[in-house]
Amino acid sequence: MTEEIGINQLRRRDFLRAGLVFGAGAAGLAAGYAAVPDAFARAVYAAKTNGLANERVLVMIQLAGGNDGLRTVIPLQDPRLHDLRPKLAALSVGQALPLSDEFGLNQNLKSIKALWDQGKVAIVEGIGYPNPSFSHFESIRIWETGDPTRRQVDGWLGRTLAQNYDSFGHPLTGCACGTTDAPGALRDLQATLTVINNQKAFGFTGGGQIEAAVGALYKATPGIYGALFDTAMATARESVTTLRTSQATYQPMADYTDSQRLVYSSKNQLAAALQLTSELIVTGTGVKLLHVTLGGFDTHYTELTRHDDLMAYLDSAVGAFYNDLSAHGMADKVLIATWSEFGRRPKENASGGTDHGAAAPLILIGNPIKGGLYGQSPGLTDLDSTGNLKYQVDFRSVYQEILGGHLGADPKEILGAAFDKLAFIKDPAGSF
Amino acid sequence: MSIAGSVDEPSGPAEKKARSPVSRRTVLGAAAAGGAGIAALRVFVYPRVEQLLQSTRAAASGRGDWISPLGSERARVAHLLRRTTFGARLDELEKAVSDGYSKTVDRLLETRPAPPPSLDASNDFLHDRRLNVGVLQQWWLDHMLSTSTPFAERMTLFWHGHFTSDYRKVGLQTPYIYWQNLTWRDMALTDMRSMLMRVTTDPAMLRYLDLGTSTGQNPNENYSRELLELFALGVGHYGEDDVRAGARALAGWTEPRPTRTVDVTVDAKNNVVRKYAVYDEPATGTFVANRAYKGGQQTFLGRKDTYDTEKVVDRILAQPAAAEFIARKVVQHFVAARVDDSYVKRLGSKFRSSKYDVKTLMREVLVSPEFVADHSYRALVKSPTEFMVQTLKALQAPQLSRLAQLSAPGMGQVLFDPPDVGGWPNNEAWISSNSVVARVNFVTAVLSQLKTVPPGTDAPHHLDGVVGQQTAGLLNTAADDHARWFLALASPEFQLK
Repeated sequence: MTEEIGINQLRRRDFLRAGLVFGAGAAGLAAGYAAVPDAFARAVYAAKTNGLANERVLVMIQLAGGNDGLRTVIPLQDPRLHDLRPKLAALSVGQALPLSDEFGLNQNLKSIKALWDQGKVAIVEGIGYPNPSFSHFESIRIWETGDPTRRQVDGWLGRTLAQNYDSFGHPLTGCACGTTDAPGALRDLQATLTVINNQKAFGFTGGGQIEAAVGALYKATPGIYGALFDTAMATARESVTTLRTSQATYQPMADYTDSQRLVYSSKNQLAAALQLTSELIVTGTGVKLLHVTLGGFDTHYTELTRHDDLMAYLDSAVGAFYNDLSAHGMADKVLIATWSEFGRRPKENASGGTDHGAAAPLILIGNPIKGGLYGQSPGLTDLDSTGNLKYQVDFRSVYQEILGGHLGADPKEILGAAFDKLAFIKDPAGSF
Repeated sequence: MSIAGSVDEPSGPAEKKARSPVSRRTVLGAAAAGGAGIAALRVFVYPRVEQLLQSTRAAASGRGDWISPLGSERARVAHLLRRTTFGARLDELEKAVSDGYSKTVDRLLETRPAPPPSLDASNDFLHDRRLNVGVLQQWWLDHMLSTSTPFAERMTLFWHGHFTSDYRKVGLQTPYIYWQNLTWRDMALTDMRSMLMRVTTDPAMLRYLDLGTSTGQNPNENYSRELLELFALGVGHYGEDDVRAGARALAGWTEPRPTRTVDVTVDAKNNVVRKYAVYDEPATGTFVANRAYKGGQQTFLGRKDTYDTEKVVDRILAQPAAAEFIARKVVQHFVAARVDDSYVKRLGSKFRSSKYDVKTLMREVLVSPEFVADHSYRALVKSPTEFMVQTLKALQAPQLSRLAQLSAPGMGQVLFDPPDVGGWPNNEAWISSNSVVARVNFVTAVLSQLKTVPPGTDAPHHLDGVVGQQTAGLLNTAADDHARWFLALASPEFQLK
């Protein structure tokens, strides 16, 4: 049953010709080999009759490690902040970029502040969930699945893909950029998604013979991992082909730089990941749900400079991304939303950092946004028994508005229940 | 769905199908593969294994399962070496087969680890007082490729992912991250109590999880939490109060004091001189009593006591959950991604009654029927490091270790740089559209560097001769040895262990 692909023509010279090894990807792409990805050939770009027909796009930015909400959206008037954080509070309050009398943004969120001034930023205060977990991994899973009871296994965006889009015939609909493995939020056994760590390396260095050979190798693979392997390979071949076209037509129209002061644990090059995200959006590859990650937010020690650097890094990448989308005329379609597994403890520790906390604000950015402050700040006077902020708004209220208001999906179908309404989307897409 | 091939097995065990992590996807994936629906396997070219398979039954559920060859001693030995070393050359396999499975287990467990060459002598470390992380990574990869005791390296890699630290936070101005690697090699088969005491005072860990800057008066909870959650017990077996009490009780450790300091000119042009620590030998943390908690008794894991580090560790190990936690992790790394709780309980109980002796646990695992059960065959996915080192070993190309070092980031496993404090994920997390491309490109890169390769007839031996129909067909029609090796090493079969 071996597919007729002339595989017997693959031989030693195909490898020796590949020669340059690293960086040969671009050369391979330039050679213009045009494979038809057989597994998806029938279905690609096919029927989305059951799917959402609008062109709206969601980009989730994970701030991994637990972002300190009290250093992101700073309560300017609360005297308790200085008592709890003698090292961390002083400068940040003085330098904050005021949003209102009560609150100010971290001084390094300059681009985001400029967008706020244009009414394109929503800040939702006091986000969390009942009985918070202080474990990174457990809380990440809760946010990814949208289920504080820990029963759900599929990601909330994965379920959205499976229920609202034809991702199976079009694997770039859901895409994780700048990572080597699939983020939990996008995972669903009934959805396919693409993972692209680095677009320059995302292609088969050996050229057509090799791509054809592996296309044939990863078919009907037996065993419990068989379908995963086959789907991953078919998805890769399909996405590689799509990207080959988009790389030819995309010109970044903003300054993406990852040369910011090196931030500890920023293994994910956020600017590069967002540039790839922009490319996928503006070249019409059909992407809808994207996910990128910036790490390093687990600031248990010397948080002052570390967190300021992270804020600058985030701001620079997001600012460039927004400008790029805007210059390409795509900014009206794209919602950018940050998320993090938890906030941090109001009281600082001996290491000049903060331990794992609970509630924190979320920042949502883009032309679809109706700017302003939403939710409610928990305040520093009424902490819970663990000394943490009490959440005021369930994080699924944010998901609900993203799903229903922005994407036009049925949030109740995906989240399993209705939550308090947060109306931060300017022109709600659907009827939900 | 049509069934091609000649293996006639009506259906697989029902409970296995239900356990499959990809059962729903299996159906979809099979449909995606163009309806070919090849649900059975054909044995490829390896006569000895072909004979074995006469008596092996396939569990043909959904798209079919691998035909396990583990009924034969030879295949069991190959399975053992694939999972506990970096794969065996044909001559190494022949030797182990003639020793037999049981004696091979003894040899793995009882041979003292061959120490790696000292990095101090070969690295620039002594010159500019700064580790070069690329040199460090390649030093370890080279040792994996050349060592006479690869099991020690597999265990070191396992512990590196468990008691993990990364060079970014630990830094490269001290040898701490290098020492940690030496430590887990030395301690790989010791006991949990010694390991928990050691990880608590390990200089790299003191930095990585901030215990080195914590105080009893104003504790940093980072280490205490991860000790309970990730190193010893797991979520659900402790509360937030335990995290806090642990943080207070463990405070007081600081980084080891250097033997002396030296001034190093780091920027001659601007005359910038920095003081660097010099350690004549590896050290562990220093306990500073006035940084410790002085509040007396507190409750930790349900018992009131005046806790210090030893008492914290002993209280943790008094929990039955501790033994099962480590046993489960070992099983997911060495046996199968999903196993029966009763198996983990059994191993945990043996582990605990051996006073948490890791060698005892590993022996129990390797000689257990579950380890060589048919459903454990190809039930694990090779990590990128395992895949790359096994590829280079199979091609007898240790000189290309630099390719492995350079390719690691694209596959998601950079040594000394885990993604987070949870270490690396395993099994299905290693399969994505990104990683299949990266793995194929690694094989292409290696083969493009080799003018000559071992005989192509050796290639199927690295797959036990058990291959899917697609792989078999391609291998049978491959034009030359380069193509044959490419197909074998890039195949899904080779990604599994």
